[in-house]
Amino acid sequence: MATASSPTGRRHVVARAADLPDGSVEIVEVAGRSIGVYNVDGRLYGLRNVCPHHGAPLCRGPVSGTMLPSDPQEYRYSETEEHLIVRCPWHGYEFRLDDGRSLVAPDRMRAKTYRVEREGDEIVLYL
Amino acid sequence: MTQLIDCDVHPNFSNGLQDLMPYMTETWRKRLGIGQGGLTGNFAASSFVLPLDYLYINTAGAYRSDAGTADMAPGTDAAFTAEHLLDTHGIDRAILIAGHLLGIGAMPDATVASTIASAYNEWMCERWLQVDDRYRGALAIAPQDPELAVKEIHRMADRPGIAGIFMPLHDILMGEKHYHPIYEAAAHHGLPISMHPSGTENVFARAPRMAGAPTYYLEWHTALSQIHQSNVLSLLCHGVFERFPNLKIVIAEGGFAWIAEIMWKLDRDWQGLRDEVPWIKRPPSEYLLESIRFTTQPFVEPHKKEHVLQLLDMVHAERTLLFSSDYPHWDFDDPKRVLSGLPPDLRQRICVDNAREIYGDRI
Repeated sequence: MATASSPTGRRHVVARAADLPDGSVEIVEVAGRSIGVYNVDGRLYGLRNVCPHHGAPLCRGPVSGTMLPSDPQEYRYSETEEHLIVRCPWHGYEFRLDDGRSLVAPDRMRAKTYRVEREGDEIVLYL
Repeated sequence: MTQLIDCDVHPNFSNGLQDLMPYMTETWRKRLGIGQGGLTGNFAASSFVLPLDYLYINTAGAYRSDAGTADMAPGTDAAFTAEHLLDTHGIDRAILIAGHLLGIGAMPDATVASTIASAYNEWMCERWLQVDDRYRGALAIAPQDPELAVKEIHRMADRPGIAGIFMPLHDILMGEKHYHPIYEAAAHHGLPISMHPSGTENVFARAPRMAGAPTYYLEWHTALSQIHQSNVLSLLCHGVFERFPNLKIVIAEGGFAWIAEIMWKLDRDWQGLRDEVPWIKRPPSEYLLESIRFTTQPFVEPHKKEHVLQLLDMVHAERTLLFSSDYPHWDFDDPKRVLSGLPPDLRQRICVDNAREIYGDRI
């Protein structure tokens, strides 16, 4: 894994672009941290692989859209970018993929997120 | 100045449905078989009876034996009760919950149950509310037929002394849409809805069901809080308070220690199960604390005295609890006994302020 300095954090090459196709996640080890690196429809996300609730390996959980707040006995599902979540594999808590915030306690419970970019053939994470 | 509000007092009939004869049409007397001069046969009833706790029996008596006389059954006389309960204990307001209608939600004929509820309401107004102005009435409805229940609520809501609604338990849990017209009418008139153990749990097909059939009265009586837990959970999970934010529910004689665990567990599990009930937009305990109240009787008697205040703190007693005596039932609570160790501020909340907040001017 190659690293170099950058104004937005240390640059870590975490995968080859070909190894992170659409709809995939790679769990990588960067500077002693376990981090999930996601490609969803060409958008890249980095999320700390530790659930802030009970420490579960968060990024082992599924990615999906979510049910929006609705009137009683009605459902509204959305999987637009701001409604993409990863669901913790233990207790099912939902965290936004883009900012790591819990849907139910966004100010109190948040998983750390990292900037991930595709640079040529490399997937790069800044930490 | 009001010092003490009792949110669960039971007026009773002296002779079952016969007491309601003056408040029913001739047609309905015929239909119910009342006022016909006794039974026509030796082995089968020829008139309707009220569903009560006929199979779980307290052989020591389910009433305070000093609450009546040889000629007068407990809770059947408004003037006697005013003296025996209100004067003795310094109670300024007593909310009446129909002692003998607790089980009508189990009756298979919804129209019969609704007619009995209407006649009871007239009886309560005339025989109790007009006798002493410290009484306040919970107008009775039959839960089986929401349309008739709504009519009854509109009919009775503005009668003098009516402060709330008593909705007997039925075999449909309280969050379901079945009840929504009733909730809409209750919220419209600002009438809190009380629920109360029915006495019929596990006895009749349309009564609330428990986990299995208890054998003993002690077992059954202690297990009644199951029913209240299930109904509270149903109300919260169906989002009833999102739909009817002004609705208030009073759980009478359902216990309250268990609400701590219900609140904690709901708040925890909701975080992972939220998408099943996306209409619950805040931690579920917040809805409970805003919209549901619990009467104090039977008050807790923990093994260590210091646990009383700890428990009251856990259940947010300063918002959630309403004093009740359950007079004239055998497990009556004397306010001086159960409230004696409480800090004055908390006592004031439980005795007066919490009830005032939900019953408003009607109290």
